[in-house]
Amino acid sequence: MRLGFKLLEHTSDIGILAHGETREQALIGASEGLVSILVESPEAIRNVEERHFKASGRDEAEQIVNWLNELVFYFDTEGLVFWGFSIDSWTSEEIIGRATGERFDLYRHELRTAVKAITYHQFESHPTPTGWEIRVFVDV
Amino acid sequence: MSKIQLQKIDEYRWLIPRTYKPGMRTDAVIYASERLLQSIRQDQSLEQAANVAMLPGIVGRALAMPDIHQGYGFPIGGVAAVDDENGVVSPGGVGFDINCGVRLLGSTLTVKDVKPKLRDLVHQLFRDIPSGTGQSSRLKLSDTDLNSVLEEGPRWAIEHDMGSESDLDHTEERGCMAGADAYAVSERAKQRGRGQLGTLGSGNHFLEVQFVDEVFAEQTAAQYNLEKNRIVVLIHTGSRGLGHQVCTDYVSQLDLAMRKYDLQVPDRQLACAPVHSPEGQRYLHAMAAAANFAWTNRQCIAHATRGAFKRVFGNSANLSVIYDVAHNIAKRELHIVDGRQRRVVVHRKGATRAFPDQPVFIPGSMGTASYFLMGQEGAMRETFGSACHGAGRVMSRSAAKKGVTAKEIQKELESRGIIVESLTREGLTEEKPEAYKDIESVVDVVHNAGLAARVARLRPIGVIKG
Repeated sequence: MRLGFKLLEHTSDIGILAHGETREQALIGASEGLVSILVESPEAIRNVEERHFKASGRDEAEQIVNWLNELVFYFDTEGLVFWGFSIDSWTSEEIIGRATGERFDLYRHELRTAVKAITYHQFESHPTPTGWEIRVFVDV
Repeated sequence: MSKIQLQKIDEYRWLIPRTYKPGMRTDAVIYASERLLQSIRQDQSLEQAANVAMLPGIVGRALAMPDIHQGYGFPIGGVAAVDDENGVVSPGGVGFDINCGVRLLGSTLTVKDVKPKLRDLVHQLFRDIPSGTGQSSRLKLSDTDLNSVLEEGPRWAIEHDMGSESDLDHTEERGCMAGADAYAVSERAKQRGRGQLGTLGSGNHFLEVQFVDEVFAEQTAAQYNLEKNRIVVLIHTGSRGLGHQVCTDYVSQLDLAMRKYDLQVPDRQLACAPVHSPEGQRYLHAMAAAANFAWTNRQCIAHATRGAFKRVFGNSANLSVIYDVAHNIAKRELHIVDGRQRRVVVHRKGATRAFPDQPVFIPGSMGTASYFLMGQEGAMRETFGSACHGAGRVMSRSAAKKGVTAKEIQKELESRGIIVESLTREGLTEEKPEAYKDIESVVDVVHNAGLAARVARLRPIGVIKG
């Protein structure tokens, strides 16, 4: 299955349905989906800065939610938007990985909407016949 | 599409009986007209109202206001009171945007004074009030400053020449909730909030220059100098990234605590802990601090608004705070339940406090009217002193954007005499008036159900958005 995501919407909700051949690829798809909610044309984001992500959690759901919350955190605190993601390890306790991107610049990027938080609402993460699927909703 | 069988109580009240599903500890009551129910049924909000009725320690009924729509855990437009001694507190019952709320400023100007310079005014407001992408605040806070904001609220701003003591007299809790503890707020939350004080945010947050379009209760309106054509300013925003992170942090901590206290809820987003447990208390301390941050945020924005008005209209343009009230909060209050007074924790998520003789503001969607109401005794008897907080979304964001551009919306609003400036195109297209329920029908319900009484209708002429 092709790496990727699609956005899900229902009244006030925005969700991301991400697919990948592996769980890691599905998470990268979900990360890209989140960035596409934040900014228009995210593929134009340049890879000039790198941040290390460490998302711990008592279960897979919390680890994924915390990983995605890292993107929200860096946007709020450093104005960073990312488009390159890699996952170095994913244990039963944490996900460790990296994200590359650049500072949001109003002259070169267009903001879509800020994201308040990642939620557990209708959260799914499970294998499919062709790989892995993650569904997550965000509060905007 | 929800198929829940509702029992009609009267024209404005509908019951989901506790027998609807196992685990409900009480009934849920929906305040809505038959017409509004049709849109309410389009999402999962009724199911969520039934889930709220499962909260341990809930007293009275789980309640939903006419602007109810699907939220995360709790529906937006939901109210639930839990027993202070035996109940639980749930961050999901407050929401991510802690103390998202509204502040109404009165003015000495009329629509006639403002119209000729309206474009300049809107532009000045847009320049002076950052919408807040990333760290765009013009205020640079030290650690000590931030802790003072969290524990003292707008008093910090007033001590830094951003307002006067009388602003506090017209702010719920005087802008400072008891129990606020800066040390219950994580470093991560502080990092998110540090650069966002005095910023509006995106989504449905806005600042509107409005005029009094119609007065329904002359005497009450006169007490607030709200005669016809008077200019007012409505500020709608909350606790920004700081509050969002507090909610995120405590959903996780209380999710863990539920195992310790052997609590079960039907949705992880409803994670909760006993009010008097260390975890529940710590959340309440952090929530109060985030609420204080939000009141300070609106105080700083009000200060910038005053500055913009003075730059455009000169020193005679005075703006005073009419009232400032939270729409997302949990508060310890005394209420009569089953004939006796009890201390309860009232969760209001997308609902306003509406105590008798307290101003209630119900903002409509962009470009439509907002309402000024007064809380009524009926709210004390039925809804723990609460009423609805807005129009309530009916259209998804992508549906709202279909077939319309930001420019077209801007032009259409201008043809109706409304000047809009928005940082994002989405801020216009996703928030277009048709994306929300009709404000008139929402206000009709709370007025006719005796929760809050109409005082005046306010129409926008200038809007700034993130």
